[in-house]
Amino acid sequence: MRVWLPPFLLILLLCGLSLAMPMLEPVFHWMQPDKQSVIYDRDSFLFLLQNHLMLVGISAAVGTVAAVAGGIIATRRSGRDFLPLISQVASIGQTFPPVAVLALAVPVLGFGEAPILVALILYGLLPILRNTLAGIEGINPAVREAGLGMGMSPLQVLVRVELPLAGRVILAGIRTSVTINIATAAIGSTVGARTLGDPVIAGLVNGNTAYVLQGAILIGLLALTADSLFEALERTWERKVSPTATVA
Amino acid sequence: MATPGHVSGQALPNRVIPALGLLALALVWLMELGTIQPNRIVPGTGHGLLSAVGWLGAGLVTGALAGAIVLSFLSLRRRYWLLLGVVGLSLALMPLLLDVFALRHLPENAPYARSSIGAGFWCLLFLLSLMLIEILGRLRAGRSLQLMLLVVIATSWLLLLGAEGLESLSLVREFNARPDQFEQALRTHLALAFGAVAISAVVAFLLALKMIRSPGWQRPILGAVSFLQTIPSLAVFGLLIAPLSALSSAFPALQSLGIRGIGWAPAVLALIAYSLLPMVRNTYVAINGVPEHLVDAGRGMGMTERQLFLQVRLPLALPVIIEGVRITTIQAIGLTAVAALIGAGGFGGFIFQGLGEAAMDLVLLGALPTIGLALLADALLTMLAASLRPTPATT
Repeated sequence: MRVWLPPFLLILLLCGLSLAMPMLEPVFHWMQPDKQSVIYDRDSFLFLLQNHLMLVGISAAVGTVAAVAGGIIATRRSGRDFLPLISQVASIGQTFPPVAVLALAVPVLGFGEAPILVALILYGLLPILRNTLAGIEGINPAVREAGLGMGMSPLQVLVRVELPLAGRVILAGIRTSVTINIATAAIGSTVGARTLGDPVIAGLVNGNTAYVLQGAILIGLLALTADSLFEALERTWERKVSPTATVA
Repeated sequence: MATPGHVSGQALPNRVIPALGLLALALVWLMELGTIQPNRIVPGTGHGLLSAVGWLGAGLVTGALAGAIVLSFLSLRRRYWLLLGVVGLSLALMPLLLDVFALRHLPENAPYARSSIGAGFWCLLFLLSLMLIEILGRLRAGRSLQLMLLVVIATSWLLLLGAEGLESLSLVREFNARPDQFEQALRTHLALAFGAVAISAVVAFLLALKMIRSPGWQRPILGAVSFLQTIPSLAVFGLLIAPLSALSSAFPALQSLGIRGIGWAPAVLALIAYSLLPMVRNTYVAINGVPEHLVDAGRGMGMTERQLFLQVRLPLALPVIIEGVRITTIQAIGLTAVAALIGAGGFGGFIFQGLGEAAMDLVLLGALPTIGLALLADALLTMLAASLRPTPATT
């Protein structure tokens, strides 16, 4: 399983660095000799990482379930009426900048973790929804007919034919969604969520470049880790589920 | 009355509009339409639909929504046009609700009192917009109709918001308190976003040409730009601070140009880095995707390689390149708002200042124009790409 090696190494690096950041104190001291404290210590980095991951994980899970369900309903015969509107909303919604969505959630829902979670779920839904629609709509109708002709029930066609065929596109949507949400959750520390954005914001406010650097490095690493995980997942999916469709 | 065949699709009852309409009715009656605040920071008292605009206003809102629901069930031939009228007019006149609300509830002789928009109003606006999108889709409306409708609604909003009754609206108050700052923010925001897009368009064009000339470069270039895209914006801004401030303290000449660890320099650099992926990918795919037989036809006409590029490949590739510019511009407008965190200015400044002071209307004053700019850029560039698309001779 060579594809799983890069994400594994990145996870090790990410966790190791979150734990061992205080040990790098001399390095940061050398960079910023004029500051007393050069290691962010309001929360442990591991806690911030955990919280950041939790926000992104919950929003990805809820968003995926909702978006895939919505996509399935909109492509059934009974929900077809809603298809044009839903696909329009999915594409128009993505023109809204994530920061603006995050900012709008605050007047409506207040400060803290809950409004950020709502904003992340709503915004993260859109790429998944769009890809689910594209994936299911992109299936050749003849394939569906063949399934029905073999005596499969519509549910079986959905589970055994449509979803596996659309899976890779849906997975790509989830990847986009997670990438965006990792970035948005980091900005979320300006509206009261405790994420890896905290050291960056604190550093910017106090003019402490060392804090900024610590936060930025961990956020960057987190994003790379998630991305390489999805890369490995997509490769594996390709090999296991649709071995014939090796050409991306 | 409906002739079977070509209008049968239109005469089917529409289920989307009743669903949206019922939801709108429920939300507008259940949620607060607006709030009255004694001053900027103190939380205000909320008012529901009936209390906010009285029986007449509540009746009109309910009537318009109920009318839309009923219309969508009737099998009239022109019902989508009628619906367009009802929904469009309701959208255009929505600020009147706020006007009436302020007139009825704002205490006299209270210069700091302000009215602000409640969740019910936002829900109504959102659902009416969805209805409009659905109707326009069913009508298969062309670009010109959509644009005209948008202009009419926007003008009506601007006129009504500029009118005297609404100066108590907190959003208007926040704007009136800092018109110069607003203009400055708009200018900075546009300059940063469009400057970065313009520079990255040039860089991306060169990179795409390099990839076409020497295919060996394709993987490393695409790998590098997609790596840049993966790193979250806050991290990129943060990572640029240290090297840039080191540079500017090493070379004082740079400092006099305004290049420092914070400010516009890291913002533009980061925005360019982000813009490269969609730009390079689209330019490469566009130029590479021009059918070879068309190029051959040009070659057969005796065109030089230069002419082939400028007169065949580039014009045919342009719509896809513009699509890349569109994605990049929308993204840059959003990221510029984040760049306010490192002191680059723009509308993000209002957002983060508002969040810091818990002044929600200031947040809105930053967030709404950012969204507006993104939607506007999207609409304009989509239209540009559509107008540049060559009309196929066949089909």
